[in-house]
Amino acid sequence: MKGERNMASNARAKEKPTFNALWQRFGTFGILILLLAILAIARPGHFFSTSTLTQILAQSSVNILIALGEFFAILIAGIDLSVGSVVALTGMVTAQMMVAGVHPLLAVLLGVLLGGVLGLINGALVNGTGLHPFIITLGTQAILRGVTLMISNSSAVFGFPASFTRTISVNVFGLIPLVAIIALLAAVVLSFLTRQTKLGRNIYALGGNREAAWYAGINVKLHTLIVFMISGLCAGLAGVVLLGRVGSAEPAAATGFETYAIAAAIIGGTSFFGGKGKIFGVVIGGFIIGVINFGMNLLSLPSTLQQVVMGALIIGSVALDRFVANKK
Amino acid sequence: MQAETLVQMKHVRKEFPGVTALSDMSFDIRAGEVHVLLGENGAGKSTLMKILSGVYTPTSGSIVVDGKAYKNLTPHDADRLGIRVIYQELSVIPTLSIRENLFVDRLPIKKHGPFHTVDHDEMQRRAEGLLEKVGLRRDARTLVEDLSISEKQQVEIAKALAVDSRVIVMDEPTASLTHEEVRHLFDVIRALKAQGKGIVFISHKLGEIMEIGDCVTVLKDGANVGTHAVSDVTADDLVTMMVGRQIRKNYQDENTPDSFEQEEVLFEVQGLTRRDGKAKNVSFRLHKGEILGFAGLVGAGRSELMDAVFGAAPKQSGRIFLHGKEIRTKSPYRAIRHSLAMVTENRRETGFFQNFDIKENISLISFLKTARGGGTLGLIDRRFERECAERQRKALRIKCASIDQLVAELSGGNQQKVILGRWLAAQSEILIFDEPTKGIDVGSKAEIYALMRGLADSGKGVLVVSSELPELLAVCDTIAVYREGEIVRTFSHRDATEEKIMLAATADGAE
Ligand SMILES: Nc1ncnc2c1ncn2[C@@H]1O[C@H](COP(=O)(O)OP(=O)(O)OP(=O)(O)O)[C@@H](O)[C@H]1O
Ligand SMILES: [Mg+2]
Repeated sequence: MKGERNMASNARAKEKPTFNALWQRFGTFGILILLLAILAIARPGHFFSTSTLTQILAQSSVNILIALGEFFAILIAGIDLSVGSVVALTGMVTAQMMVAGVHPLLAVLLGVLLGGVLGLINGALVNGTGLHPFIITLGTQAILRGVTLMISNSSAVFGFPASFTRTISVNVFGLIPLVAIIALLAAVVLSFLTRQTKLGRNIYALGGNREAAWYAGINVKLHTLIVFMISGLCAGLAGVVLLGRVGSAEPAAATGFETYAIAAAIIGGTSFFGGKGKIFGVVIGGFIIGVINFGMNLLSLPSTLQQVVMGALIIGSVALDRFVANKK
Repeated sequence: MQAETLVQMKHVRKEFPGVTALSDMSFDIRAGEVHVLLGENGAGKSTLMKILSGVYTPTSGSIVVDGKAYKNLTPHDADRLGIRVIYQELSVIPTLSIRENLFVDRLPIKKHGPFHTVDHDEMQRRAEGLLEKVGLRRDARTLVEDLSISEKQQVEIAKALAVDSRVIVMDEPTASLTHEEVRHLFDVIRALKAQGKGIVFISHKLGEIMEIGDCVTVLKDGANVGTHAVSDVTADDLVTMMVGRQIRKNYQDENTPDSFEQEEVLFEVQGLTRRDGKAKNVSFRLHKGEILGFAGLVGAGRSELMDAVFGAAPKQSGRIFLHGKEIRTKSPYRAIRHSLAMVTENRRETGFFQNFDIKENISLISFLKTARGGGTLGLIDRRFERECAERQRKALRIKCASIDQLVAELSGGNQQKVILGRWLAAQSEILIFDEPTKGIDVGSKAEIYALMRGLADSGKGVLVVSSELPELLAVCDTIAVYREGEIVRTFSHRDATEEKIMLAATADGAE
């Protein structure tokens, strides 16, 4: 019944295409511009400097990377709550390897791969137990955070090669942060995966109707594994990037980042019921989170208040999007 | 004597983007009368009924009830006016019990001073009464997700009876009901008629229409092409009115042998057993050129047998041979790679992808078949995708604005055609059809039967499970009767009759 109502309103929406079609496609983009405009008006002096934009890009990159992986977990009507812990653990291990003398490039590679392996473990647990990913990743979130604390004796790790932090913080042409280019490349690759490959098509099918996907010959377990591996790889990459930007490996790094990742995916139009969403939307969603974070620092809100504002803005952006979409 | 008119729909028009579902439709519902709506898939029947219940707002036209004309009837108005609709697509809530589904929006209440609680005893009592009426023998506390589709349909019917009504619309209620359940439904309908309710009955089964209908309106391309008293027309007249031509009744070849024993064996199942007893040491052979049908009562385990053959459900033991070579079907993926195909019984739950458009739904398995790495590796070929979908759209005459339309926007019968198209596009060697023509109109049915015959003639294997005996009799060369996990008899189409099959299918018909 409810579905039919929605269908009806969709059908009506399509009868007047101009505004609604545009909003559907670029609505989240509009919210991003709105947020930027608010900042520009509040702090015109700071805002219109290239370094500000560069910083926003750099800061958003970590969010975008994690959100890209989270997107896939949500796309199959699941979720990955462990991404924050994966970021911390991969960052920590990479740092320790470098401190122990492993070449930074190799350490980075192994760090990212570790993320993939952790994702595979999530996927294997989901497949093996048949439990909802919410439960599994809630568990691994705690376990991996614990492991991070154990291997680091609960203290931060510094003292790895400056060449590493310098490289990660490079701005191409003094303008575009390298990390933003990494995030963009990841987005392009994953966007290709979702739109042009059979793997991507199968993942959407799995999210749209699990039972039907099984009958249509889609290997449900294999695809679940791949999805969680992608999520882990993205978090691993984010872990390395964060390490380079912060300059030290904190055992409590990225706490709560899964919330931002989920928010970015949902703001970007991914459906919690699975099967619907686009990488482009997730990137914009990740940007929005980054801008909110950056803006609060720029406006020097006390850190205690920042959490409250962040939460309110997440609800606000999604609500605004749906409100406008239903209004016209 | 002309009965009182309860509802008048006047010059209703409904446009969807790219499609005019109803062009100019007028329709009356009278007290104590069963008004049948008949028309091809996509003619606009369900749309008309959704306008009546306020789900859709008509582009123009009005609905007159009690002398008042509604241009913009809301679901709330329809509810208040006593208009109940049993939709084609089930709307029961799987995670609730039967009784909670029946009373979901009006739970019986018990008062304890200032506190109001749900009166479970009252609910149970009323629910039992309703289930008795529709003939569903289940505890009212059972969760709906544990019911079969036909039982869910019965719950849906009972739900419409739970509250007082003036008009009850039934949109293809019998599509997934068994013979006996249909008898119960007809008793219910007769009782409602006697109480002076107006009934709208939609079905593609002409036999039912002739039996239960008082008058029939034929819809063609969104317009009324005639309303007649059922007693004035024959089933053949109705077909001509709807399809514009007569249709063939049988699809067996003129010179089919009485027995296919001499022919090459295409596909063979030996000693298949399921742990749950839905298949007990089942063996059968499918020969070249033969269409093998499975008859039986619902619950006999035919779908479960096919699930096991196709690898969608585990088998305890049993071997499967294709062209004399043993194949292992551990999962549908394996089965598909071995060139099996299966159209499942329940298109909503195991069939289509709501989030996909028509072309994506149709091309999915063709893509999978050519992908390496467990079905994961390979690129989407958009040109192939379009061609593949266009071919099926033409072959099956899928009525849609374009192949870029979402399947959720198609009429029920056209959704079923999309699923058929998906499996036909995969060009498999052995095709299993489980209730293939559910919700499909008579004209298209004939085309699908011809298509199945064509497949068999071109050397493919065709297995059909159907609860519609006329369907099996029209298209199958051999009919196996399945009862309690076993094939109890096999008939050649030459000596099969509905009576003989029914007798073999019911336990007391056993020798
Ligand atoms: N929400 C919608 N959006 C776009 N088109 C729609 C929508 N609902 C129905 N249609 C179109 O309207 C036409 C009539 O559909 P309807 O469901 O009323 O057919 P029907 O007579 O009930 O057919 P069936 O026998 O297959 O159930 C179809 O062409 C269908 O594609
Ligand atoms: Mg319909």
